[in-house]
Amino acid sequence: MPSTAIKRVEIQAQNRLRTLMRDYFLNLDAAAKDPDRQVAWCTSVGPCEILTAFGFEVFFPENHGALLGARKVSPEYIPRAIGIGYGSESCSYMNSDIGAALAGESPLQEIYGIDGPPTPDVLAYSTNQCREVQDWFSFFGKRNDAAVFGICPPSHLGEVGDHHVDFVRGLLARFIKQIESRFDKRLDWAALEEIVALSSRASTLWKVILDTAIAKPSPITFWDGLIHMSPVILMRGSQAAVEYYEQLLTEMRKRIDKSVGAVPDEQWRLYWEGMPVWPKIRELSEKFFDLRTVIAASTYCNSWAFEPYDGGDPLAWMAKTSIEIFINRDERFKQEFLLDMFNRFSIDGAIFHNARTCPNNTNSRFGMAQRLRDELDLPVLVIDGDLCDGRFFSTAQTMTNIEAFIEQLEDRRS
Amino acid sequence: MSAALFVGIDAGSSATKCVVLDAEETLIGHHVISSGFSYPEAAEIVLEQSLFQAEGLREDITQCVSTGYGREQIDFAHRHITEITCHARGARQWYPEVRNIIDIGGQDTKIIRLNERGRMADYRMNAKCAAGTGTFLESIAMRLGIPLADIDELAMRSKTPMVLNSYCTVFAGTEVLECIKAGKPRDDISMGLFRSIASRIYEMISAHDGPVAATGGVVAHCRAMVRALEERLETKVLLPPHPQLAGAYGAALLAREYLTRPVQTSRAAESITECKG
Repeated sequence: MPSTAIKRVEIQAQNRLRTLMRDYFLNLDAAAKDPDRQVAWCTSVGPCEILTAFGFEVFFPENHGALLGARKVSPEYIPRAIGIGYGSESCSYMNSDIGAALAGESPLQEIYGIDGPPTPDVLAYSTNQCREVQDWFSFFGKRNDAAVFGICPPSHLGEVGDHHVDFVRGLLARFIKQIESRFDKRLDWAALEEIVALSSRASTLWKVILDTAIAKPSPITFWDGLIHMSPVILMRGSQAAVEYYEQLLTEMRKRIDKSVGAVPDEQWRLYWEGMPVWPKIRELSEKFFDLRTVIAASTYCNSWAFEPYDGGDPLAWMAKTSIEIFINRDERFKQEFLLDMFNRFSIDGAIFHNARTCPNNTNSRFGMAQRLRDELDLPVLVIDGDLCDGRFFSTAQTMTNIEAFIEQLEDRRS
Repeated sequence: MSAALFVGIDAGSSATKCVVLDAEETLIGHHVISSGFSYPEAAEIVLEQSLFQAEGLREDITQCVSTGYGREQIDFAHRHITEITCHARGARQWYPEVRNIIDIGGQDTKIIRLNERGRMADYRMNAKCAAGTGTFLESIAMRLGIPLADIDELAMRSKTPMVLNSYCTVFAGTEVLECIKAGKPRDDISMGLFRSIASRIYEMISAHDGPVAATGGVVAHCRAMVRALEERLETKVLLPPHPQLAGAYGAALLAREYLTRPVQTSRAAESITECKG
């Protein structure tokens, strides 16, 4: 069944997104070449607001890893990383990124005509998402003779208590001192407050946008989210990100008013748990589109939906939001979060992606999918794959699994 | 003869199967051949042979459903349904009480769990790997230079089966060669292969509850596979009259049902529109 049978309604805001992305990468490239400007690399839920307040232009290697996956070039680069000692089942973002650096190649060259990832002056990571970033960033720190600073907050948290927040706040304060000492800079606290406020605003808008998918039909899918989440990661703390999401939200609300669904004739509403399969995004989105199925919600896109900042201590907000994220929580919290999401978004079934090289962002390895299935009488499907490494993904097998899943839903409804 | 016929085509990775039913759901024609290089060509052949056996004509076909990995390449089918749904339907027709279906195919192994109403409650497929599939057996048989049928004969004579530690086809092959070098009996090595598959399947079905049936080409041709499953699962495994035809049989039954049942989704409607009858 070709996907041309029904017409996809394009999101108008994406034209502006292309411009924003281009400006972002051209600016990074210019900063890297300007001796008076400095570039920082940061993890996606790392202390980017602090780095921005110090005047660094911030680059996010995880985004580059996803880009390598989405452009289907990871298989070219992963073996290079394996060849210098990184495990074949270690994070494929990391292996792709390291391998691409070793090859001196990047899709950014073709897309934006720039040299590739900007050379870092400093690298800052938080292990709130995974431990792998420590080695990933250390590789590039050594390669570029740049300082690497790590923040290692407590992980697998149930309740997030004040003592947790205070502890992480202390780590952030120490990080500020490290930057001040290393670069002979002083943090502009007023600027930090302003950046945190903008960061929070963009994040809040992003959450409201994702929540528009509660509507039936849903105006937005997980696949759209994977494209439109870029500003909340890469440009968090900027006015441009806020304005972009205001535009996108307006468009989504118009869709709701006119009952325009992202998937015309929406029949099924699914949840996606875990990482995207970046090299197969197009094939998977078309498959679900053909099956009249909207992936209405996901854990992944909600990873950058933080609690609002209400003024006060910006470091406390950063500390709290950095450890409150889903991936940093215990099994019980995660299960309750998923239950709530399934209910709020009227989910008919859930797909768990068992990403072979990303155990931290895979939640199907300790019985959670089965527990949720039994508790809610909700069909669940676990698919094997990976975020970048195609060796772990079988297209034919996965597509059959997905079709059978929809057949199961049809059978239940009949 | 002119009658309403319902056809199921299972274009599997190794073999293409066809079943023809009459209006009373009686199996009146069937055929199996190797899928070869072309699913459409294989499907044409099995259809022709099955119709010949059923004494039917092509224009007698009221509805046709295709299933299996090559299902979407069968242009003359009215609908494409996954082999998971079709195997479940076929097995349930033979054994209404069945709650668990093990389908060991050439390329993958499926575990399908049915609820008390006979509806699919859950299913699992093996990971992207030949372990636990027909390919595992074929590959090692080829490496040993012994026909698969002979391995089954040998295995059925085994008294103390070998334990193979590896599920991986390549590593298991190496283990088998080590056993041969060590002078282990061929009977016991052969049964070890079937036990290896049964152990892999056990991981997917260990929490089974209720009657178990097995389908697919491997159990159709290898009695040792059924024995290994029964020993590992510690339960009787139901073997249908035509295990290899279960998918095609289910597809034909669904073809019959879809004629009388309202189409559930617009996807199905589109499928009917687009497929050539």
